[in-house]
Amino acid sequence: MQALLSFENAPPFAAPLRFFITAPLFALLAGLLLLIDGADLFASRWLPATLAATHLITIGFMLQVMLGALIQILPVVAGANLAQPLHVAAIVHPGLSGGTLLLAAGFYFGQPLLLEIGAGLLGISVLVFLLAAGRALFGVPSTSPTIRGLKLALFGLLTVVALGIVLALAMARGWALPLPELTDLHAGWGLAGWAGVLLAAVAYVVVPMFQLTPGYPARPGWLFPLLIIVLLLLWSLAVGLALPWLVRLAQVALALAGLAFAGLTLRLQGQRRRARADATYRYWQLGLVASIFALCMLLTAALAPKLAELPGWTLFFGILLLAGGFLPFIIGMLYKIVPFLAWLHLQNQGQGKLPAPNMNRILPDLAMQRQMQAWLLAVVLLLAAVVLPEWLARPAGLALMLASGGLAFNLLAALQRYRQHGAVIREKLAA
Amino acid sequence: MTTIRSLMTDDHRHCDDLFAVAEEAMADHKTSTAAAAFACFRQAMLAHFDAEEKTLFPTFEAKTGMSMGPTQVMRLEHAQMRTLLDEASAALAAGNADDYLGVAETLVIMMQQHNMKEENILYPMCDQHLPGELPAVLERLNSDLALA
Repeated sequence: MQALLSFENAPPFAAPLRFFITAPLFALLAGLLLLIDGADLFASRWLPATLAATHLITIGFMLQVMLGALIQILPVVAGANLAQPLHVAAIVHPGLSGGTLLLAAGFYFGQPLLLEIGAGLLGISVLVFLLAAGRALFGVPSTSPTIRGLKLALFGLLTVVALGIVLALAMARGWALPLPELTDLHAGWGLAGWAGVLLAAVAYVVVPMFQLTPGYPARPGWLFPLLIIVLLLLWSLAVGLALPWLVRLAQVALALAGLAFAGLTLRLQGQRRRARADATYRYWQLGLVASIFALCMLLTAALAPKLAELPGWTLFFGILLLAGGFLPFIIGMLYKIVPFLAWLHLQNQGQGKLPAPNMNRILPDLAMQRQMQAWLLAVVLLLAAVVLPEWLARPAGLALMLASGGLAFNLLAALQRYRQHGAVIREKLAA
Repeated sequence: MTTIRSLMTDDHRHCDDLFAVAEEAMADHKTSTAAAAFACFRQAMLAHFDAEEKTLFPTFEAKTGMSMGPTQVMRLEHAQMRTLLDEASAALAAGNADDYLGVAETLVIMMQQHNMKEENILYPMCDQHLPGELPAVLERLNSDLALA
């Protein structure tokens, strides 16, 4: 309980920060891939370059930030202290970054060996994280929907990675497996079971905190993560038994659950008591609206499977959900977490004798708003490029690079200011 | 039935509302309205801290013998928030909107995570450990908070 009450148990800034700073570079790389390969990336979701770009975004960006953020917030929101946060970060971060690069290269250059090494490295890194986080988290009783949600999300992570390794080995060694069905299931576990459940668990805490909204209602809050996991188990069973109608039923239910969560969050944000629409709020609005459209597409395709066979349908859905939905939530939260942590650590360094610069001085709102406009442009161009790839694929890649580079620049500038202020504080304390 | 948790949680919401009024006025560039609203908010926050530090925490500590535990962490965070309240007042007095919004942002996160710990852990502990003292403690807390 003491852990929950104190920030003293929070890990050093260096533990989460390395993940946050590296993540945008992977989105930058995905943009570069698009700039180089152009329209080819939009021909099918199964192309080597498309698979490479997808994993640069999902593992290189999303998983990267999520693991870094969990190392930071597990002690604060769940009272779960990782034994050695810096050691865990020092193993997981390079493993995750290197593994993502190798996996992406394996896809892109069609090198089975790189695929295997990349998948293996990712598996080991995630396992190290799961052992460290699981040991801390499963020792804590599930006294809130957030704690229960976090536990279920870790189960989702284990499953998506296990499926991913099986798929990578199947591709590399030519195993006879139903690849399309397993790939959809892998994506379902990754996006709903891991990212979606984690997002909900964290949203229960941060949406009221950042925007001063009413809290999420308790009963649905407890049920949502569990429902998602049960539906994914049902989907897995349906794949195992080769029952396509059951797969579709699970997808319909997942889409409806996701829509209910997004709709509720949108409504809560409409009741927020803060007047100012800052970058985090705008990013959440973008993420919610894009997710709602994406989930409607999932619902439609599950009810009328012929639609999903339309050219570009799945790509449009994926871009809408990732670049329009998940990444904006993540970037929006980074824009609060990084400056707040910088303030907190500077405040502690000042030992109550020297004031820390406020959050806007570490990361000005204008810089975030500009980067967000670049991101919005990238999302629109990426979606339009599905329809007009010959014309728009390369501009979309350039826009993605610009927006990701802007994020990297903003985070690095915040880090730079943090270091400068830290040096001044140390100098003054020593004097 | 009124509990320590419900009384003090309601007061947190009351403080949040006052904060929101000040921020809204600032966003509308009504500087003097914002300064007045912020002064109300600050007074309510300080009364809340005082009620806890003079009434609730000492009673809890005397009853449980835990004086270096959660209450100590809460006192430290109160000190950090008092500094932020002063910084925000200074920024308002100087008419510096950017600085005010930056401090306000920091204050909101500090305040909300602090409230979350109190509402989910410390207040329930108080209700659990102080059943006999409850009527007297509630009465004193009510009069402390009314000073705002």
